[in-house]
Amino acid sequence: MKLSPSLTLLPFALAAFSISSARSQEMSMKEEATDEQIAFFEKKIRPALIKHCYECHSSEGDKIKGGLLLDAREVTRRGGDSGPAVVPFDLAESLLYTAITYEDSTLEMPPKHRLEAEVVADFKTWIEMGAPDPREQVSKTKEVQHYTNTIDLDKGREHWAYQAPSPQTVPAPKNKEWGQNAIDAFLAVAHDEHGLTPAADAEPRTLLRRLSFDLTGLPPDPAQVEAFVSAYTESPDSAIATAVSAALSSDRFGERWGRHWLDLARYAESSGKEVNATFPDAWRYRDYVIDSFNTDKPLDRFITEQLAGDLLPYENAKERATNLVATGFLAIGTKNLNEQSSRQFRFDLVDEQIDTTTQALLGTTVSCARCHDHKFDPIPMSDYYAMAGIFLSTETLYGTPNGLQSRRATDLVELPFAEKSLAGIPLADLLDMEFRRVTLEEQVETLLAEQREQRQSNRNGEGVQNAVIRILATRNQLGVVEGQLLTYDDAGGRRDLAMGVRDRDEPFDSQILIRGEEDNPTEERAPRGFLQVVKTGDESPIPSHQSGRLELAGWITSPENPLTARVYVNRVWLWLFGEGLVSSVDNFGTTGEAPSHPELLDYLALRLVELDWSVKDLIREIVSSRAYRMSSDYDADLFAKDPENRLLWRANKRRLDAESLRDATLAVSGRIDLERPLGSAVAAAGVGFIGRTIPEASFENESPHRSVYLPIVRGVVPESLALFDFADPSLTAGKREITTVPSQALYLMNSDFVIEAAEAMAKTLVADAGLRGAALAREAFYRAYSRPPTEAETLATQQYVERFLAAAAGESLGPEEARLLALTTFCQSLLASAEFRYLN
Amino acid sequence: MSPILLSRRQTLQAASSGFAYLAFSALSTLAAEKTANRLAPLPPHFTPRAKRIIFLAMQGGPSHVDTFDYKPLLGRDNGNASKGFANLLGSPFEFKQHGESGLPISSLFPKLAGHADDLCLINSMYTDLPNHPQATTQMHTGNFQFVRPSLGAWTLYGLGTENDSLPGFITLSPPNGAQSYGSAFLPAIYQGTPIGKQARNRFTAGSGEGPISNIANPRLSPELQRVQLDFIKGLNQEKLVRDQYQPEVEGIIESFELAFRMQDEVPEVLDIAGEPQSILDLYGINNATTGGFARQCLSARRLAEAGVRFIQVNHGNWDHHRNLKAGLEQNCAEIDQPIAALLEDLKQRDMLKDTLVMWAGEFGRTPHGQSTNGRDHNNKGYSMWMAGGGVRGGLRYGSTDDYGYQAVEDRMHIHDWHATILHLMGLNHEKLTYRYAGRDFRLTDVHGVVAKGIVA
Repeated sequence: MKLSPSLTLLPFALAAFSISSARSQEMSMKEEATDEQIAFFEKKIRPALIKHCYECHSSEGDKIKGGLLLDAREVTRRGGDSGPAVVPFDLAESLLYTAITYEDSTLEMPPKHRLEAEVVADFKTWIEMGAPDPREQVSKTKEVQHYTNTIDLDKGREHWAYQAPSPQTVPAPKNKEWGQNAIDAFLAVAHDEHGLTPAADAEPRTLLRRLSFDLTGLPPDPAQVEAFVSAYTESPDSAIATAVSAALSSDRFGERWGRHWLDLARYAESSGKEVNATFPDAWRYRDYVIDSFNTDKPLDRFITEQLAGDLLPYENAKERATNLVATGFLAIGTKNLNEQSSRQFRFDLVDEQIDTTTQALLGTTVSCARCHDHKFDPIPMSDYYAMAGIFLSTETLYGTPNGLQSRRATDLVELPFAEKSLAGIPLADLLDMEFRRVTLEEQVETLLAEQREQRQSNRNGEGVQNAVIRILATRNQLGVVEGQLLTYDDAGGRRDLAMGVRDRDEPFDSQILIRGEEDNPTEERAPRGFLQVVKTGDESPIPSHQSGRLELAGWITSPENPLTARVYVNRVWLWLFGEGLVSSVDNFGTTGEAPSHPELLDYLALRLVELDWSVKDLIREIVSSRAYRMSSDYDADLFAKDPENRLLWRANKRRLDAESLRDATLAVSGRIDLERPLGSAVAAAGVGFIGRTIPEASFENESPHRSVYLPIVRGVVPESLALFDFADPSLTAGKREITTVPSQALYLMNSDFVIEAAEAMAKTLVADAGLRGAALAREAFYRAYSRPPTEAETLATQQYVERFLAAAAGESLGPEEARLLALTTFCQSLLASAEFRYLN
Repeated sequence: MSPILLSRRQTLQAASSGFAYLAFSALSTLAAEKTANRLAPLPPHFTPRAKRIIFLAMQGGPSHVDTFDYKPLLGRDNGNASKGFANLLGSPFEFKQHGESGLPISSLFPKLAGHADDLCLINSMYTDLPNHPQATTQMHTGNFQFVRPSLGAWTLYGLGTENDSLPGFITLSPPNGAQSYGSAFLPAIYQGTPIGKQARNRFTAGSGEGPISNIANPRLSPELQRVQLDFIKGLNQEKLVRDQYQPEVEGIIESFELAFRMQDEVPEVLDIAGEPQSILDLYGINNATTGGFARQCLSARRLAEAGVRFIQVNHGNWDHHRNLKAGLEQNCAEIDQPIAALLEDLKQRDMLKDTLVMWAGEFGRTPHGQSTNGRDHNNKGYSMWMAGGGVRGGLRYGSTDDYGYQAVEDRMHIHDWHATILHLMGLNHEKLTYRYAGRDFRLTDVHGVVAKGIVA
């Protein structure tokens, strides 16, 4: 066992038990008691415990109530069914103290009489001095547990994904005409090998539509299409190069590619699970991500900022603020805010951080090694706890209000600079809020007093029950008001806050927990570190005074890390081609899929590093390939050879994701607002609990902003996104699912959103463009499909309008009304049709 | 058209309906035929014992040793070390024998225990992995690694449905993740349609909030909407002709037609207001604890009555690593009465005999404890039960070892379970195939043995 220098200097160190104590993790450095402290325990606390508590809470007793034992240090700290009884230095966390103060009507101990004020004060003193407690386990002594690694790391390193990408010579395919760049050469040799021939180039209109949705998430407008077609006739290469440059330099690019990243970062603006408290400041992270893609921040830097922005040097307040906001990546995960045990909560939070970090960035499920060595991949538990130590040494700041069911509130990060601040409130409102806080505080006091009285007069049943509910509700309201007050400065201005992380004062290594049980630690601590299976050779040692997040980021973004670049270029490939080279995009482990083109994957991974991790340059290279230009046309022979198109003999027909479908609907209707809104609907709703203090319906009205700016509340994702397979915002989701269910058809047929968009589109066609007949059909098809209608479609449109008007004649509609409805439903038909939703 | 596209379905197509636009090519009419009513009922392979399935799916891995797998030695040896594991944890719940069959059921299910003689407890289940996502996917699709069609989708593909104005496969309040009701490479019309969402085990169908949003058009009469849908269909069929092969577009066409028909049917089927008070009370609709799940169970019965082939009812929060006792008490209190009511109600309507009701989680839990009041995941042995639909009631089939850790007798893997379900539905699991990517796929892959012993 290693003792820290400060510990060895102390006269009476209880370090020996601090290591094995269940609750010692974060306390180990402080847990030493003086002779006087022990004397205090023996004189004041032990007798009180024996006299008032042992009857129901001792292993010698007949009955153990609430699963709680108070007859030894370890069990006292572990607590019973409700959570830890004593947490050193922390009165608020110590349920024993809550119980003896009779503060919480659901938990009053001893049940029959309140302890004398003097005794209560002794307990307060004792807990505040760190609850020194020399009592070892009396009954069964726990076996000392050890951890043994069962993983053969050398064997594990044989898996392709853990080996460094190898430099590739660009191969020479038989058909030299087809290829445009190196990417094509890799694909072409695979075609050669399997007797496949690549599809012809797509029509220029199809190609521009593809490019536009892929890079910006929006359709091109008819004028852009026409210009592209004529430039393409001159020179396809330069037409494409120009269109790509325009798309990459548009702010729409970051909104599109930032959203891809937000899927990986499981971005959401509430805590999820049962409590579901809002994260009113999460939007700053969202904007940070979008801006980073727009400025083409190198991916290695981008990752480093998100893992360790708070530890990076900075030149000015603005840079500092950006770095801090970036660490929101670690703070926006789901949280079980009503977890009773703070230690359990900490381990769960850290697990969520490990899970997201390793899946999103490394395509590896390290979290599987929380309870046992990984069953498939070469990841021992000790690696998991090596990473856990890094995150345990980190404090995560996510806000949320305090309440009886929401016990895990934290601070937020105060930003030294903000380009944009949310609106404040008038001073009068602030004073009202302060008044409300005081009133609620008094109400809680009154309710508690009443309740105590009821209890003492031994009345039971409904009265007491109702009182408890009232107290809970009032306390929650109080917590919310307190939380709201914290978001304003003294003058009512909105403070510039962000979610994020900071290092703890005293970093430490984590114990390895048997079966992941927080109260079941082994002797061993896992020195903070990374996955042993991946050695980059340039790892920096973790300094004892820091968490190690900066070094973790360094290891992840090392050019020698075989996973990071591979995993990301594979994701880019998925987003541009509809399928990854490795189709299990979040799992590069042994249960994942092998790459379809391993050499190409290696080539691209090395290329990303060569391009100084520029995502825009990488995308430019990929979309400049001949492969990206291929048509998606069907070919029966080739289909028979490769039905799933794994070898990319044609382009995949791809369905638009939820955001693109919604944004395109707004765009062709002319209703889209491309300005970035300030904050988010969740920021506007402020601090609170979804479904309790903030109705779910507050987020139903959809703004005409791009979908990336819609409020993403866990469990209340907007219908327009949720119905069309939006990613579950609780987990890293590298790949969207694709479902076709009638509820989607019902939405397209009957929802106000689609009908209103169609009506707006119809009105602009008639009023703004003054169109009718064939010209109207042409403009409408062009806007929706990026192509003019066929003759048959023009004719069918006319037939449709006639038929609709004929059918409407029997209904009580005026002629103008009927015509607008005919045109509206025609436009809606285009928006609801398969072609609008698919990229060819 | 490529020959591989000719499925069993397509040989049984009905004629196209709907208005074909003269302007659109004749080929679109051909395309229309291809997708015409793939939901029509199909004859089974042999005489079925069950016509429909109600699957009560419990997410999180309910503990079998505290519910349906009585292990007296576990209680006796409570606290003893179990080899290589934490100490054994006896069940805090008492088991008693029930019914004429004397099936042992724990005190967590007082009402369901009244139906002991209808239940076939399968105590010898096992599955490949003890992780939630994989095990859940395997329970629903047979495969934890690849995207494969779900049990409900296979059933619908094999048998069609009795009411083509409703989806043939409906899942009530499913958790996140579409794989449990996905159709993978099967045509999209066989995919489950989710109704309601799983939020704090609340289910809104029939509660006045509206089970499916957008169920009516605010501006168009059904006649006018039909005119519009014909036009949309024409556009989609043109695309299908141009694309030559595009199953997803077929799925879109079918989903619009189904959606149109659902507008009439769904509000009525899911409106429980017309149920007599005695039925509402039987299920416990107005009780705060049972209300949510009761609503789902009653809706399931109404959907079954309306001819839906496969109905899944979901319930979450069974992952009791900690807080086992209170957690199980809460969950079982929520579902016990509604499930008992469902069995009772089906029986009263003479529907239990051909409705297969199943209750299962993705795996069970360990006999050894985790902390002092919890259990870890256990895939090596666990329990589920079936009732009605041609299974032998009052039967305890298969068993685990003395403590409930591992299935030992009449072991039933997920593949065997799937094979047995299809068998009860009149389908031979080896013959129910779909050709995709040059290969014939089955729900049971190359595995699966029908457990004939449970068939009545």
